[in-house]
Amino acid sequence: MKKNTILSIAWRHLLSKKRQTIVALLGVTFGIAIFIFQGGLITGFQQLFIEQTINTSAHIRLYNEDQVNRLSILSKVDSFKTAWLIIHSQKPKDELPKIRNARAIVKWLEQQPEIEGVSPSLSAQVIFKNGITQVSARVVGTDIIKENLLFNVEKYNIQGSIKKLQTIPNGIILGEGLANLLNVQLNDNILVIAPSGVSLEMKVVAINKTGITELDKTRAYTNIRNAQKLLMVDNDYFTDIPIRLKNIDDAENYARLLEKKFGLRALDWKEANANIFSVFKIQNMVTYLIITTILIVSGFGIFNILMMIIYEKLPDIAILKAIGYKNRDIVKIFLLESVFIGVTGGLLGLLLGFLMQKIVGSIKMNVKGFVTLEYLQFNSSLSFYLFAFFFALLVTAIAGYLPARKASKTDPIEILRAK
Amino acid sequence: MNTTILQTVQLNKFYRGAVMFQALKNINFLLKAGEFVSVVGPSGSGKSTLLYVLSTMDSDYQGDIYFDGELLRKKSANELAEIRNEKIGFVFQFHYLLPEFTAIENVMLPALKLGRYSYEEIREQALEKLNLLGLGKIAEKKANTLSGGQQQRVAIARALINHPKIIMGDEPTGNLDSKNADAVYDIFRMLNQQFNLTFLIVTHDMNFAQKTDRTVFLKDGEIIKEMMNS
Repeated sequence: MKKNTILSIAWRHLLSKKRQTIVALLGVTFGIAIFIFQGGLITGFQQLFIEQTINTSAHIRLYNEDQVNRLSILSKVDSFKTAWLIIHSQKPKDELPKIRNARAIVKWLEQQPEIEGVSPSLSAQVIFKNGITQVSARVVGTDIIKENLLFNVEKYNIQGSIKKLQTIPNGIILGEGLANLLNVQLNDNILVIAPSGVSLEMKVVAINKTGITELDKTRAYTNIRNAQKLLMVDNDYFTDIPIRLKNIDDAENYARLLEKKFGLRALDWKEANANIFSVFKIQNMVTYLIITTILIVSGFGIFNILMMIIYEKLPDIAILKAIGYKNRDIVKIFLLESVFIGVTGGLLGLLLGFLMQKIVGSIKMNVKGFVTLEYLQFNSSLSFYLFAFFFALLVTAIAGYLPARKASKTDPIEILRAK
Repeated sequence: MNTTILQTVQLNKFYRGAVMFQALKNINFLLKAGEFVSVVGPSGSGKSTLLYVLSTMDSDYQGDIYFDGELLRKKSANELAEIRNEKIGFVFQFHYLLPEFTAIENVMLPALKLGRYSYEEIREQALEKLNLLGLGKIAEKKANTLSGGQQQRVAIARALINHPKIIMGDEPTGNLDSKNADAVYDIFRMLNQQFNLTFLIVTHDMNFAQKTDRTVFLKDGEIIKEMMNS
């Protein structure tokens, strides 16, 4: 009363309807808690995936794309322009996936200010064999020191040492999933068979685990020399130039630029993971649809209690208007009531959501999907919490404004007039 | 030296429903400062309608109203609210106190809106008004715990808090027994004499009306008679 008349009227209205106020407040609390929990789970998982992807793979990958649908050389002959041309079982041109002049390209790339680093490599689809177990996977021949600087190989290493790739001539690093499929352990030997027919006996020097299931099941590292041996190619032979950028948001534009400059295919990380991102999009849509629905329901709770208070307090509204309170004062009273419910319910919801995240996040789940995780990862960033809170405020402001405006439009005469 | 406080010129009001209904017909009415005037008439005669038009709460009329020298028709809703707050005190048939607030807080409400004095000063003034009406002892009681007569007197104190130019009443004794009704009249008369406060009271209580200075008779929206009471 002492500080602000409008505020104290609003406050006493709520106090006079304690039980309904608490119910409306809990509605907002649960809405926001679900928002924090569910939204945090989905976005936390997606962030983790993107983070791992960005940290462990190329932002842009330069390579030669197989041209299957190339035009037949016959179609270039003039006299066939008016005739039908039928060629059966056209084969792709026997072109090596080698990047021509790779060392010069690497040199140029290394001088660009946008680029943090490049690590030229060659990769081939090979078959790993351990006893009778055969698994097909991709082996990447790379300079492991460079690769580590760019793609954090060491950070995701769980057994052995990646540096042994330099010291042990036929060393190989396997993804955890791949090692499990092959049933091999550290220091075991496996046979690697290349499409060229060459086979090499290799020793597992390290096992790594990025958490991205698909990657861990299909990727192995060895040094460049071994890979070149497997493919039976010369020591200038590179198939891939993975590029790490300083700013990943530039990837898309920069990839187009490189494509134009070198005539190679430049695949940026967004494009490479396009199908997963489209799954994320649908996931987000469904999640936020559910969350929005829940919050709208809590909005109805607020709307409901305010309408109740307003009907009951029509005489109060009328007398306030008669003694000189303006329409906007009346709006303020009821808006304050809904904002109080929204803010208090919202804060409690943030707290409850946070606790739910912590509790569920501490239970061992062993998730295996896109990513392999022991514990669920939640998005608990400040901006996410702020977003949830402002969303709650928005819903309550709308739910409060409609009844408040109705209250301010009450005609005091009809109520005050002597009967 | 009695100045005009309220004047109407050719005041007409229509209710537009399925059928057009004229509630007030060519009302030309003058109220001087310090007058104690009552408006009487059978129900449906338009006496309440007239009061609400004059009170600035109803702005749907034709003709002109001059209140305290100002033409009301040109004012916005917010300006009218300010006029009501500052210059008009209201007493209705029911007290319309806010039930969650104490008697003194209810009295303070219009002054807090006006914001001319500090909270402490307003509180002092409110207590003064309550004492004037013999309510000093119940100042801190919740409004809904008071008796009917007390509530109406608190409502009168609320009407007085901003030192208004005029008190308007719509059946202020309509819900009271004769003893309390007489008390309300006595308070009005005392305020009228002590502070030269102007009163415009709509009533169907002829006993009350006869005690006022002047009575205006309304029928079918027209003033049919004005009578000075002696």
